[in-house]
Amino acid sequence: MGNCFSDVKGGQQAIGGSVRAGGGGHGGSAASGPNDAVDYFFRAKGEHALFMPIELSLSASKLRDRDITSKSDPMAVIFTKRRNGKLEEIGRTEVIMNSLDPSWIQKINVTYQFEIVQHLVFQVYDVDTKYHNLPVKMLNLEDQDFLGEASCVVSEIVTKRERSLTLNLHSRGRPGFKHLGTLTVRAEEPVASRNTVEITFRCSALENKDLLSKSDPFLRISRTVETGGSVPICKTEVVNNNLNPIWKPVQLTMQQFVSKENPLVIECFDFNDSGNHQLIGKLQKSVAELETLYQSKSGAKFISPSSGFRRHEKVLKSQIIVEVYVEKQLYSFLDYISSGFELNFMVAVDFTDRCFPAWGFGGRTPDCSVSHCFNLNGSPSEFEVEGVDGMMAAYTSALHNVALAGPTLFGQVINKAADIARGSVSCNYAKYYILLIITDGVVTDLQETMDSVVRASDLPLSILIVGVGNANFKEMEILDADNGRRLESSTGRIATRDIVQFVPMREVHGGEISVVRALLEELPSQFLSYVRSKDIKPLNMS
Amino acid sequence: MSKSSSPMVIEITVISAENLMITRRQPVKKNAFIVVKSDPFNSQSTGTDPDGGSYPAWNEKLIMELPVHVRFITVEAHSGSKVIGTASIPVSDFAGGHLPENYLSFLSYRLRDGNGDKNGIVNLSVKVKGTGNNGCAASCSQPWMGVPADNKVSGGVVMGIPVPYT
Repeated sequence: MGNCFSDVKGGQQAIGGSVRAGGGGHGGSAASGPNDAVDYFFRAKGEHALFMPIELSLSASKLRDRDITSKSDPMAVIFTKRRNGKLEEIGRTEVIMNSLDPSWIQKINVTYQFEIVQHLVFQVYDVDTKYHNLPVKMLNLEDQDFLGEASCVVSEIVTKRERSLTLNLHSRGRPGFKHLGTLTVRAEEPVASRNTVEITFRCSALENKDLLSKSDPFLRISRTVETGGSVPICKTEVVNNNLNPIWKPVQLTMQQFVSKENPLVIECFDFNDSGNHQLIGKLQKSVAELETLYQSKSGAKFISPSSGFRRHEKVLKSQIIVEVYVEKQLYSFLDYISSGFELNFMVAVDFTDRCFPAWGFGGRTPDCSVSHCFNLNGSPSEFEVEGVDGMMAAYTSALHNVALAGPTLFGQVINKAADIARGSVSCNYAKYYILLIITDGVVTDLQETMDSVVRASDLPLSILIVGVGNANFKEMEILDADNGRRLESSTGRIATRDIVQFVPMREVHGGEISVVRALLEELPSQFLSYVRSKDIKPLNMS
Repeated sequence: MSKSSSPMVIEITVISAENLMITRRQPVKKNAFIVVKSDPFNSQSTGTDPDGGSYPAWNEKLIMELPVHVRFITVEAHSGSKVIGTASIPVSDFAGGHLPENYLSFLSYRLRDGNGDKNGIVNLSVKVKGTGNNGCAASCSQPWMGVPADNKVSGGVVMGIPVPYT
């Protein structure tokens, strides 16, 4: 019964390894096999769990000496600070004997999420000699001597060029009091996540498993595990009605296939709406063997496993061919921003003291005409305001001088932002623009807005729209294009990528997810889809 | 105004197409190909894609010269001897004004058949290789707006966009 309502289209999607032109990649966050399913689960529910795994290595210097006869034996512990202020431990280093300037080897894994603020608290303890034979995990922190504490936010570490941050240690709860030494945190992305391999598979002479039409084949690739079974790491999309299909390229990261010699199981199934897909054939090849297949331009034959009365496996005529095999370095979002890429906000809550452009729309200016893109600071020529205060001052004065008027039109503001983004492209490639629109009304020029968005879809621009109030924002969700329907302009042009993220404030109010987080979630993948398609590398990267 | 001697050379990579149908019900089975025309007499075509069916992929580069007066290029999707869909690409979408030379534009367009009905999407990328003059040929249309001069005196603002002067 459940099959009647199953999402056939969803079931036919490629999972885990595909390169989507619009949605971008995972940003180097390639999770291992089991996490792909979890990742997909969240994404199917509309929650983008884009996270980047990083490893933190710690070192400290000038620690206080607690022991009498020798130096302290320090160990560091990292906590995250939850919303309610409670600390939750995420890892600890090993104990280094007799040192006031330790460099711990044990790295601690943290996932970096762009869209939330992650508070970390570091504490250094001196471990008493009587505990030295215990595994670090079992040490009770209350029994150890406290040496100092420091805290920071994960983004502070990863946005530094060297990805390294030095903090002063202080006593618990009293920052800046006694100088208890310093702690240096360095963040590194696990190197393996950057190496990827992009393969386009093709099959020939597949067996027909369907009655009235041809098979609808798809491939599932699994990694063999030590215990003998296999863990699926990706599947291609389904090609309907085709015994000689070619699928869209599949991108596998080193974290997924672990090593080029690791044997992968490739199975070809015939898709059935009922979910009961029939196995057409399978074979086992490692990534290195696939590379050889590609170079020798030969195919490998599928094997039909033993079934029914037949006790042996049968070698089939069906073959798998590697059409394209490319090894790539996939730079992650962190690589770009730590190398110096600028993310320019136009109208945003920006806490640095900078000038940024601000416009208003839908207001009736003193000369009685309704403008759909006027400079918020009231100046006819300059559209910049200085810092958050400048923004608030401009908005306040605009409220006095401009009468609120409908209708809600976005087209012009988007065009203006697109012009700025387009202008920067000719000078240097290291700028990306983000336009934040806060609106309480449903857009009334939907077609014009769509036209503007489509025109801007190939530019380094993302548009974040927050809907406040009680209006029915259903139409706005078309702009977000999250359901896969690419926006189409009135001139017949189709959006190159999805650059809009729309969040109605009502939906997130009171929930765990803040508005900012929901808005910013898609940003790294929108940014990456832009730089990867244009083959732009992080600054200073050869 | 602007030197309009040498034509623009563009490099079009015809990437892929989506959802091509021969008739309302029948999807394209195989061997679809794309023809790009700068005018009725100058065209280039990709090879056929034997396996892609109604979602063919070519990733084929075509180099074309666009004379200065050309404002649109036409992209046709063919299956066998039939033209199943056409799209018109304004030159201003990939060349003009602010876009620097050698900028790779990724563009997608809706294809429409002979009756004007939708028939799929074509994805391509275009790079302008050289124009002979700063990328601002007379053919790149920059929008300009004017306020109609009425009898009424309106205190409106006119936005003028400077025409490039070389």
